[in-house]
Amino acid sequence: MVAIEQRTSGRASAREVAVWDPLVRLIHWSLALTILLNGAIVEEESKAHEWIGYIALGLVALRLIWALIGPKHARFSAFPPSPARAFRHLRAMVGGEKTVHLSHNPLGALMVYNIWASVIAVGVTGYMMTTITFFGVEWVEEAHEVIFGWLLISVALHVAGVAFDTWWSGVNLVRAMINGRKTIPEGREVQ
Amino acid sequence: MRKFALIALMAFATPALAEDVTMDSTLGTTMQEVQASLTAMGYEVRKAEMEDGMIEVYFVRDGKMGEVYVNPQTGAVMKLELKS
Repeated sequence: MVAIEQRTSGRASAREVAVWDPLVRLIHWSLALTILLNGAIVEEESKAHEWIGYIALGLVALRLIWALIGPKHARFSAFPPSPARAFRHLRAMVGGEKTVHLSHNPLGALMVYNIWASVIAVGVTGYMMTTITFFGVEWVEEAHEVIFGWLLISVALHVAGVAFDTWWSGVNLVRAMINGRKTIPEGREVQ
Repeated sequence: MRKFALIALMAFATPALAEDVTMDSTLGTTMQEVQASLTAMGYEVRKAEMEDGMIEVYFVRDGKMGEVYVNPQTGAVMKLELKS
């Protein structure tokens, strides 16, 4: 019994673990698509741009609810927003540690919250621009653009972080976000 | 009393008589002139900028908002977008 528990929580041979449920994956790629569409493809002052923005807000809202009621790895408790944890994780990596995190790793978790907050801020300022109170009000437009710029920088860092962690930990994170499973290399510590 | 009511009615009715910006309007050849014309017509002028060589002004009036594009050579309205 003890041995079995050790196999699931500690070192074990290479194995696949289901980590991302279908809704998490659907929201992730849909949100990426809305950012791509509104940032690069759809005309800025179109109705489509507005609707895609509201869809992005809806996706983040749904994900936040899912983080309260969804499966274990999708929950806030699996990736708390903690700079202290992120710092410890960074120090452990500098020390050569290659622990695998089933949910987001602590650095990735901070990026997740940053991206969600940025999408919300872009969406809210975008909505404000359609209201009579803030229509044609310069600071709202500037905030919308500056925060979107920050979102693009964040997405670039996110992709770089995914590439780095895939190389460092040996777990293909892109594949995990597609098929939902992480392949844990043999004998690796799991959190 | 009757006179007062009439004056009140006229005051109330005045905004509806204010001139609307249309495709036939001539608003001016500089950003300042266009802004002043719109203000004189009772519009609240928001952002004004040069866009594709035209003067673009965002305005609000009577709970409605819109954008007007003016040709800086002729002062004529080139494009008018009214939103709900």
